[in-house]
Amino acid sequence: MASPNAAPTRARPLSPHLSVYRLTLTMAMSIVHRITGGALYVGTLLLAWFLIATSMDASAFATVSAFLHSIIGRLILFGFSWAWFHHALGGVRHLIWDAGYGFDKPEREWLAQGTLIGGLVLTILIWSIGYAVR
Amino acid sequence: MAADHDSLRSPLAKVRYLGSARSGAQENWLMRLTSAALIPLTVAFVWVMMSLLSKDYNGVRAELGRPLPAVIVMLFVLVGIYHMQIGMRSIILDYLHGQSKEWALMANLFFAGILAIACVYAVLRIGFV
Repeated sequence: MASPNAAPTRARPLSPHLSVYRLTLTMAMSIVHRITGGALYVGTLLLAWFLIATSMDASAFATVSAFLHSIIGRLILFGFSWAWFHHALGGVRHLIWDAGYGFDKPEREWLAQGTLIGGLVLTILIWSIGYAVR
Repeated sequence: MAADHDSLRSPLAKVRYLGSARSGAQENWLMRLTSAALIPLTVAFVWVMMSLLSKDYNGVRAELGRPLPAVIVMLFVLVGIYHMQIGMRSIILDYLHGQSKEWALMANLFFAGILAIACVYAVLRIGFV
């Protein structure tokens, strides 16, 4: 007789099981939401470095400042800010869904496109303001 | 588990329709709560960072040492890190299984905890030292 703890004969589906679906915009946005979240997780080290260096002394600050002003530093910051705004708008989209709105096809497509475009617009807007006030 | 032998019901049948293991909704709620809090905190944080752009070392320290920017940055860091810790936890629970999952969950908490304390300590040090 089989043990009650025996593994099931057929493997039960596990998340993620993305490969069985045709790629749609809302699905791609869900994946990008998770990827940007992961990137922001790592990017927090940059904020920590900036704060710790500023709390130490002028030479530590000069090092982090030089890095942030370098081409690579600016590219990372630009990517970080886009990831932040994209993820933030994706979060707003989720809050709208949590409130019970926006589930119909035109609405969820509109929300996905709005997140995509809004994230880019906000990033460019913030960087334009940044370069203007600098 | 020894208890499994006391019943003919399969482990799956025992847990079916019982919902999450009591605390799942709490994590979901905290994710929504921190998301909502991060919207105004993002606006405030961007405002603080903008004000630092034209400043040198002493100027940045003076600005971050003021009460309002210091509180904004600390709130942003604490709420943000709490939020990302829950997010990474759900990523780990989705993709990792067994021993590697346990190590990753531990590393996630250590990373978030160390980062949160280090950032808050840094802001306090800028203001008070």
